Amino acid sequence: MRAWGALCAALAISLTLCAQPDAAQRQLALDSFERVWTTIRDTHWEKNPAGLDWQAIHDEFRPKVAKAANMDEARVAIREMLARLHQTHFALFPATVYDAVREDSAGPGAPGIDLRILDKQAVVTGVDPGSGAERAGVRPGWAIQNVRGMDLSPAIRALTSDPSISDLSLTRAVLARLSGPVGAKVSVAFLDGSNRRVSLDLELAEPRGAPAEFGNLPVQHVWFETKRIEKTAYIRFNLFLDVTRVIDGFSKAIADCRACDGLVIDLRGNPGGLGAMAMGIAGFLVDKPGLRLGTMYMRTATLNFVINPRRPSFAGPVAILIDAESASTSEIFAGGLKDLARARVFGTRSAAAALPSLIERLPNGDGFQHAIANYISEGGQSLEGSGVSPDVEVKLTRQALLAGRDPVLEAALDWIRKGPR
Amino acid sequence: MKLIYAPLLFLCAASAAVSAQAADEALPAAETILDRFIEVTGGKTAYEKRKTEVVTGAVEFAAAGIKGSVVSYAEEPSKYYSALDIPGVGKVEMGVNNGVAWEMSALMGARIKTGEERNQALREARMNAPYHWRELYSKADTAGVETVNGDECFRVVLTPKEGKPETMFFSKKSGLMRKTAMVASSPMGDVPAEILADDYKDFGGLLAPAKTTQKAAGQEFTVTVESVKVNEAIPPDRFAMPDEVKALLKK
Repeated sequence: MRAWGALCAALAISLTLCAQPDAAQRQLALDSFERVWTTIRDTHWEKNPAGLDWQAIHDEFRPKVAKAANMDEARVAIREMLARLHQTHFALFPATVYDAVREDSAGPGAPGIDLRILDKQAVVTGVDPGSGAERAGVRPGWAIQNVRGMDLSPAIRALTSDPSISDLSLTRAVLARLSGPVGAKVSVAFLDGSNRRVSLDLELAEPRGAPAEFGNLPVQHVWFETKRIEKTAYIRFNLFLDVTRVIDGFSKAIADCRACDGLVIDLRGNPGGLGAMAMGIAGFLVDKPGLRLGTMYMRTATLNFVINPRRPSFAGPVAILIDAESASTSEIFAGGLKDLARARVFGTRSAAAALPSLIERLPNGDGFQHAIANYISEGGQSLEGSGVSPDVEVKLTRQALLAGRDPVLEAALDWIRKGPR
Repeated sequence: MKLIYAPLLFLCAASAAVSAQAADEALPAAETILDRFIEVTGGKTAYEKRKTEVVTGAVEFAAAGIKGSVVSYAEEPSKYYSALDIPGVGKVEMGVNNGVAWEMSALMGARIKTGEERNQALREARMNAPYHWRELYSKADTAGVETVNGDECFRVVLTPKEGKPETMFFSKKSGLMRKTAMVASSPMGDVPAEILADDYKDFGGLLAPAKTTQKAAGQEFTVTVESVKVNEAIPPDRFAMPDEVKALLKK
């Protein structure tokens, strides 16, 4: 943990001393544990969270936190407690995540690569324009073999066979390994289109998009893109955040495309964000008031995700593209519009991580994300654990990417051009 | 002064109940309690003098780390406009004019409030609402005594001419209102909400809470009043409906 390391260096004390939390640190860890445990007790939508005896959970894990040798060990114990819920959107973000972003000291730099785990390989699916990866000649379809001297294949093979590890977390782990300080370089070995090994040093730069802050969420870079593919409008954005950028962009794209034969909304890789944005964006796609994407059930209240029809509106066919990394608000949006028969969904099953959540800061400075509600899509199914299943399943392959093709987008365009039935 | 709650349901939502205590004593009539509130906050004359009000404040969801700002304009008898600005979410505007209650935001677009949500917005928009309680509510009953933040209060249930009852809690000692409990209506649903009023200060001749803590849907946020200007001329176009709202009225 960087903060501890820096503190130790500054004080020039031994690692042994660093590993022993003082009374104040131990108290911070315990206070943070209590906050996490109490928050779940008081805000989880089930009185017995996930059917557990929550008091027994407290009595089991508090001693572990009390005995922790340092804050990292305390986090391990708290995360172990959260894992007992077997529900998404319960997470800890170490305080250093916030420090790294704010101080720009390490981490935020990215090579400009998007990737997916395809056939147990980390495969480049997109290269940001102007990025270090583009300048170095990286192409979609290249497989990442080694990052900073570490071979990825054994780890990916092992982790993909573990059902508790999602594609989303696996991809995030690889992307995290690719990141570092802005201006630094990361050494990456690829397999190119001819399966030849290509070793490159990729320059790390600020991630694509503009930094956006929302409450206790660590700073995220948000981008929005739109283009015309013949007569069809295509919209893609990486997060449901930065309302002005994304919703204004969506509104302008719709206004510019009144004569379009259809609209493709690409939510592949979009992990969600502000849940209400699903309603706000859906408002451009429906004319009838009172429609709902779904319902959020809290312990003390029920909130309907109602769509408010708005201008400009688009009445033509809508295709939504999803994959295993489309999560949370992406699932609420795609699942709801699918249930309302307002959109046809293409791709692969979504992340199945769709619980509305909040992020709070703990006494030790960590961020604590906790789900506060269950969410049922308008069709009656819980998206948590099952996700959104596409109407038309189409898988992305390395071969297609190397050939410059996107079979998921092609299927959606084909449906629009043939005229939806 | 006006409080804002229903439009924030998109960020939050539920509340807690305060344990009730049995009242052994004879309770004063609700009318007495409500009229005392008018007196202790400045009196009939002070309310009658107040014709316009511009309030600025800060909004904070402390637990979620969300901060924003709010400004509201009000004019006799029932013109109202407010704008809440939260970084990352944008502006949420609300208004009432000529009996039309509306809301517009970058997040959700424009809409006209109807039904119970409209009723609540119209009551909120009534300038000097406490002074006009007889106009806004058809019935008021003292229902008991409860303690709010250590202050023993009379619990008064007010039934509006249209809509669901609201419960207000008035300090036995000071006569000031300490809490309102209600069911906030919005298209997202009906959500129990409570608003705690603290730190009463003199704003231009009337006492009003400088800090309100609002709890709904398991979240809590505070509104802290930063400035109040009274009886300054407000340009009429401040209360004009945006074009997007006017377009909805034409439909």
